[in-house]
Amino acid sequence: MRIFSYKITFTIIVFIILLLVFIFFTPNHIFLKTENLGALGKLMPDLGIIALGAGTLMISGEFDLSVGSIIPTSSFVFVKLLEWGAPLFIVLLITLLTGALMGTFNGLLVVKGNLPSFIATLGTMMFWRGILYVACRMMPIGIRAYLEPGLWLENMFTGTLGNGFPVQILWFIGFSIILGLIVHFHRFGNWIYVTGDNKIAARAMGINTDMVKTVCYIIVGVLCSFMSMMQALRLESFAATQGIGYELKAIASSVVGGTSLMGGIGSIPGIFLGTLTIQILENGLILMGAPVFGINAFIGVGIILFAILHINVERIGLR
Amino acid sequence: MDSQSEIQEKKRKTSTPLVRMIDIDKFFGKVVALKGVNFEVKENEILGLVGDNGAGKSTLIKILSGFHQADRGEIYFEGNKVHIHSPKYAKRLGIETVYQEQALAPHISISRNVFMGREPTKFLGFMNRRKMDHDSLDTISKLGLRIKDTEAAVEALSGGQRQGVAIARVLYFKAKLVILDEPTMALSVKESQQVMEFMKQLKSEGISVIFITHNIFHAYNAAERFFILSHGEGLADLKKKDTSIDHLIELITSGRRE
Repeated sequence: MRIFSYKITFTIIVFIILLLVFIFFTPNHIFLKTENLGALGKLMPDLGIIALGAGTLMISGEFDLSVGSIIPTSSFVFVKLLEWGAPLFIVLLITLLTGALMGTFNGLLVVKGNLPSFIATLGTMMFWRGILYVACRMMPIGIRAYLEPGLWLENMFTGTLGNGFPVQILWFIGFSIILGLIVHFHRFGNWIYVTGDNKIAARAMGINTDMVKTVCYIIVGVLCSFMSMMQALRLESFAATQGIGYELKAIASSVVGGTSLMGGIGSIPGIFLGTLTIQILENGLILMGAPVFGINAFIGVGIILFAILHINVERIGLR
Repeated sequence: MDSQSEIQEKKRKTSTPLVRMIDIDKFFGKVVALKGVNFEVKENEILGLVGDNGAGKSTLIKILSGFHQADRGEIYFEGNKVHIHSPKYAKRLGIETVYQEQALAPHISISRNVFMGREPTKFLGFMNRRKMDHDSLDTISKLGLRIKDTEAAVEALSGGQRQGVAIARVLYFKAKLVILDEPTMALSVKESQQVMEFMKQLKSEGISVIFITHNIFHAYNAAERFFILSHGEGLADLKKKDTSIDHLIELITSGRRE
């Protein structure tokens, strides 16, 4: 599998064009200002980290619609643990474990229950959100009362390096590298591709496709928990509406990055670039004066155009 | 002493068949799939397993490759009685099955397909990609297949070349018996010819081949011996020199021993 396939070449071209357009055509070249880049650097990793997991799962041939519920649920667990004054590394560990367990549950539902992942995770999405709303009574919880500023846990997630370089960006790059190494160079990565591309062949060759898929769900869950802490610390609070819409945005980022909805096709550099493209599109359009609440319309059009182009590029590429 | 045991070993090898299935029965509920089938594959031969639809060819093969278990009968592999309880165990014995369209992942590179599930690693499970590329190219060219770039996706290959990649896999992993289930189905004349060349190549590497097909002409072209199944029973076991295409067709269509 070439990492730089024709699909990602295509994403790179669009990304660069968007970049140039926004650099030159935003008023006063606001796009390139440190404040804007800093804000992008803090915001982008939220979606990026989720998309990395969701995209990897898509390569294995499954979806996870429940990420939008795993995020606020683990955020709730995180804030509650802080409230109870648990040692910080325990807080970190248990929050990550929450996502891992929810991911495992999704995975087992799909592989053992033989359910289409769309249905299974639609169910868990609604289930966890319902439980969460009851548990938190829809009340936001501020973090500041339970966490002094400047502790290692906060610096680790939302600190800055040098003169204002957000550490979030490093996490996004770090996760991209780790997942990139696994997906493209580790044998488990090959199993992910084969599972998504031809499950029957994978099984015939002794690959435990159930295990592969469940592990991918766990990866998604853990990344959701990680991001939920990052987001809660940035916003300094838990909100019950956290994470809404992330499941579809993550899928969109993956698709823009050349990931197939049928499994077996995709790449980590592609998903990385796909996230960048969507975020820059959103950011640039707002800077250019597009109505903030109508921004989804543009993104929707963008995604469809991308999908059409990918399909046609693939057809041409095969000829 | 040494040479004598070597001779004995050789003798044993030529006298004992690679596989012997004795008196195999298989039922699916009340349906009799196989009844008292005696089946043999010798060392280093290409056997054509022929018969009409529903004759029991795939049931017999699935018992041999561990997907089904026989309800009665015994299986000997290299002279030892074996109980093939799983596909994994069949693989460990050296029995590999190549199913059409089920063997390969189309969007993944040739070398990754060859090593699917058995990737060589360097450390911590990271793949040795140089070895994968080198060895897969090496094995594919051994089959007489000309492919330049093993990093290309399988979907770019023709049907015959795909079979070649699937066969290269079993060649690389030192199978003793390769079962090819309808490998020429849906292939062009030229590609079918190519696949039959692959079989001869496997034989020259000392591997036995069971060639399952509906196409008597292909079977007659490639195989040295024919085993005909009809309604779950062994109808005939013929050497090539004792039969002809017309004779085989006659046997299969009449479903009767002469």
